[in-house]
Amino acid sequence: MRAPNEIDFWRGFALATIFINHVPGIFYERFTHRNVSLSDSAELFVFLAGWSLRYVVSDPGQPVPAFRLVLRLVGRAVVIYAAQMLITVLAIALIAAAALYFEAPPILEWHNASAVFEEPVATHIGLVLLSHQLGYFNILPLYVVLMTAAPAIALLDRVSPWLLLAASVALYVCALLGGLNLPTWPVEGRWFLDPLTWQFIFVLGFLIAAPGRGLGASVRRHRPALRILAVPFVIAGGLAAWFHYSPDPLRVPDPKLFFMFDKTFLSPARLVHSIALVGLFAGSYRYIAQALPPVARYMSMLGRNSLNVFCVGSVLSLCGQIGRFEYGGGIGTDTVVILMGIVALGVTGWVSEWRDRLRARQGPQPSPSSPPQVSSPPVSSRQAQTT
Amino acid sequence: MPSSSIAAPAPLPNVTAKLETRKTIRVLAIGSSSTFGVGASSGSKNYPAQLTDILEKALKGINIEVINRGVSGEVAKTTAERLRVEVALTHPDLVLWQLGTNDALARVPIDEFDDTVTSTITWLKENKIDVVLVGLQYTARFARDDNYAAIRDALRKIAAQQNILYVRRFEAMRYISSVRSAPPMVSGDDLHLNDLGYHCMAEHIAHAVIANLFVRRFRPPTN
Repeated sequence: MRAPNEIDFWRGFALATIFINHVPGIFYERFTHRNVSLSDSAELFVFLAGWSLRYVVSDPGQPVPAFRLVLRLVGRAVVIYAAQMLITVLAIALIAAAALYFEAPPILEWHNASAVFEEPVATHIGLVLLSHQLGYFNILPLYVVLMTAAPAIALLDRVSPWLLLAASVALYVCALLGGLNLPTWPVEGRWFLDPLTWQFIFVLGFLIAAPGRGLGASVRRHRPALRILAVPFVIAGGLAAWFHYSPDPLRVPDPKLFFMFDKTFLSPARLVHSIALVGLFAGSYRYIAQALPPVARYMSMLGRNSLNVFCVGSVLSLCGQIGRFEYGGGIGTDTVVILMGIVALGVTGWVSEWRDRLRARQGPQPSPSSPPQVSSPPVSSRQAQTT
Repeated sequence: MPSSSIAAPAPLPNVTAKLETRKTIRVLAIGSSSTFGVGASSGSKNYPAQLTDILEKALKGINIEVINRGVSGEVAKTTAERLRVEVALTHPDLVLWQLGTNDALARVPIDEFDDTVTSTITWLKENKIDVVLVGLQYTARFARDDNYAAIRDALRKIAAQQNILYVRRFEAMRYISSVRSAPPMVSGDDLHLNDLGYHCMAEHIAHAVIANLFVRRFRPPTN
């Protein structure tokens, strides 16, 4: 188990706020940073996912051989896909159970679930193909696509980080110009988070995480200037969110997606704002850890176990919605929902690390189930597991 | 049942004006489940599709193009964001916005709901796009639910203040449910209207649209 650190902390922060924001109407939603921020936790989460990819592709001191790298990343994509399948099935069962128990058939249509019950034949195929996604369960499908593309991203980066950047920008611009997105099926529509545009912030995280080369080196060289440059963007984005300003989609010039504040296509304004946020707050973890050590420890623990915490958080926010439905919204119910969420996410992180702690206590002998780690020191292998 | 108790009449100035000069009207149907066609036996029988048929038959020579963007289980705030983007990308003349049920279930605060709906309608009006609100569904259990009633009141109030067409589905469905004659109009889960129910609803919207067109055409404008 690695010590609390900045990346894990912000990842945990993103996970906690995603949990809160996925209970629509909840009282505590007004205290999350998206009220003063144009971009929200989704951008932060994907950026940090790209950042974590950096740890997976290179063990300290040496790059992972290409074949093993591809295996590792594809394996990771499969794990995330399996997680998506699991939480989707749990969500469908929860929705069905709530509809039965509370005798409330309207619940069956929550979160785009109605197709599952009304057109099960086609929709089951869609669920497996990720072309039918439940509302609020749409981040992991993006992550699956990104991790499937990760071998290409990592190998292109080895050729040249600038080439990777150019390819990523080109795809981003083309997708915005043409409004390109993956289709949904059987319900006519498109993905809530477009992988063709969102790949850009993932690649940016991956590139900036490399300290010694490419974009990462440039960013570090000009860090003080970039931090100052970030301030007006963060303030402008904050004001826009606070005053609910967004450019009128009918008034903006063509190509419209470049000028709108659109989340599905990760419009440039949201992208720039999220990168500015990262630039401004990078390094602030040190002060947070000094001022609020328990918060730093808690958030880092969530971040270290992000996939497990994300899965539990997704299911919990659905439980929170069902609870609010049955017991009514209000500070009382909402406080219970939030407290239960904080405890459950913490327990998820703690239990996920329990096995590691037990193993550490038992001594250094490797158990039959864990093969000796020849080229993967504990820190990086742990990071590889928790992306 | 009389149309007046289902759809409060209100003008559709922009659609009427556009029909003076062109033959095609583009309709964007957006909102929660029934737009998608839950309970209908196939996608082609959801209410926007049926509405197209009825309007094209009634208004001979007029071409109605419907763009269907329903996603089930969305609260109005989510739809409102999507609505602006879709309007910008598809340029409709009329928006049919089905809303309310999911906000009532998610216990979204009424003032937040009111803000979302009012600001979206204002924006549509500013851009000379007509809007028809399609209200929430009826189920026996929710007939007694305070939050449900509050959302219903909010919609009625907004429609009156903004002088826009509002289809009172709740009342219509309660009526259907109370007569429960054969053939049944409500599908197995007692909530979603089956094909005939959809047809009935599409007809009511069509009647309201047509009535509005004629009121407008044969009465001198008052403003």
